[in-house]
Amino acid sequence: MNDPYSVLGVSPNASDEEVKKAYRDLARKYHPDNYHDNPLADLASEKMKEINEAYDEITKSRKQGGNGNTYGSGNAYNGGSAYRQQRGSYNTGYQQRSQTGSNAAYAQIRALINANNLAQAEAMLNNITVHDAEWNYLMGSVCWRKGWMDEASRYFRTASNMEPMNQEYRQAVQYMNQGGQAYRPTGYNMNMTNADTACNMCGNLLCADCCCEMMGGDLIPCC
Amino acid sequence: MYGYVRPEKGELKVKEYQRYRGVYCGLCHHLRHRYGPICRLLVNYDFTFLAMLLAGEEEEIICSKRCPVHPLRKYPCLSSCSELDVAADETVILAWWKLRDGVRDERFFKSLLYRAACLIFYRAYKKAAGRRPDFAAETQAQMERLNHLEDAKSPSLDETADAFASILRAAGECGTGERSRILGELLYHLGRIVYLLDAADDLAQDEKNGGYNPLCYRFHLENGKLSQQDEAALRLTLQCSHNSISAAWALLEPSPYSEIISNIIYVGLPAVTQAVFAGTWRHPKRERSKL
Repeated sequence: MNDPYSVLGVSPNASDEEVKKAYRDLARKYHPDNYHDNPLADLASEKMKEINEAYDEITKSRKQGGNGNTYGSGNAYNGGSAYRQQRGSYNTGYQQRSQTGSNAAYAQIRALINANNLAQAEAMLNNITVHDAEWNYLMGSVCWRKGWMDEASRYFRTASNMEPMNQEYRQAVQYMNQGGQAYRPTGYNMNMTNADTACNMCGNLLCADCCCEMMGGDLIPCC
Repeated sequence: MYGYVRPEKGELKVKEYQRYRGVYCGLCHHLRHRYGPICRLLVNYDFTFLAMLLAGEEEEIICSKRCPVHPLRKYPCLSSCSELDVAADETVILAWWKLRDGVRDERFFKSLLYRAACLIFYRAYKKAAGRRPDFAAETQAQMERLNHLEDAKSPSLDETADAFASILRAAGECGTGERSRILGELLYHLGRIVYLLDAADDLAQDEKNGGYNPLCYRFHLENGKLSQQDEAALRLTLQCSHNSISAAWALLEPSPYSEIISNIIYVGLPAVTQAVFAGTWRHPKRERSKL
């Protein structure tokens, strides 16, 4: 295995805080939420595994008083396990969902999508004549992974309109409406859409007001 | 080709700007060295980006050279390497097929000009296609596919953009393995953005001349412009591709050009997109800074 310090990109003399910060930054970078329905999701989750293992190894060896110069980072480890759990739930996502689907063909298609075999999944979908909500959702997933995002958005919306109560379809529409998600290093926060301009200001203010009220204060006295 | 893929200069460090310039000059010199002085004219920002993207982890070799535009001073310039070979060959191949496309699309007199240009670049194209037969074949196939879609007046943004994006995906092919997969994904979405931005940029002109533009068939135009809702839909799909680029970029190993590429992806592309939608992209630089 690689040197855990080089995996996290810190020197072996780094303090616990520095190691933790490097780990957190990398975990944010390769977070499964950034690779939702992405054909490179497997590579990202491999990276995530690598940095989790490296971080575990460092904390373990430092706990034993191995090569750490500052000692005692028990709490840092917990921050890591939160990321781990989320990854777990993502990896099993498709299988779990497929059990709720009634149609056996859909379960097979979900497995194909999960294995990145998009051509075959699309061919199977094209063979199905009844286009119900799940069909639209799966077609949307195939399109999204292929990079055909405009069509994906239409399929996801159709699925969600057909079954408005379905959490899975609603999440897909939501994810898509924000234009997907990706890591951006600090300092780079320009966007392709106008979402962060004046249009959103009132919404942000209202959110801030709600938070203040929750904490006992009030930002906007009239609401 | 299009020049949409460029860094935001004001946000670069001076040393990074110089390094970027070195690659650009390197590509220009390399085009002349490999394909003769006229092919120098084909140098462009997009393939400069490709050359930087393909570069490995090792440091590059810099030499200094004079060029016709700046005859008095020597400028630092990336000396020949395999990335520049790829970028130069593919520049010539794509430029040739763009010219062929012009012969087909334009009216009689203008298409004569394109024909003349094709004659000039023919030998260079043959040479480049001999060096990169796979890329030349893929470009030809996708350009033909694009022509069919144009003739059929396809209303699908994704399908027309897919043809062009597939060309860029092929441009980054370097064997198999993870790196090639990541590069393919990154370049595919870059191609998609370039194609859609170009369509948005040409919208008014195509509307006037009656040329094919996928946006005309996908959306309903009001006075030759996209409605606010349609523009939001187009921006959204661009944002999706932009996030896919960022996600792929995060998976690549660092290289000497990481900072410049990050600038292009995170700052340059969004700035160019804003300019295209604001209608300020085609203005000369001086006017743009005033706006």
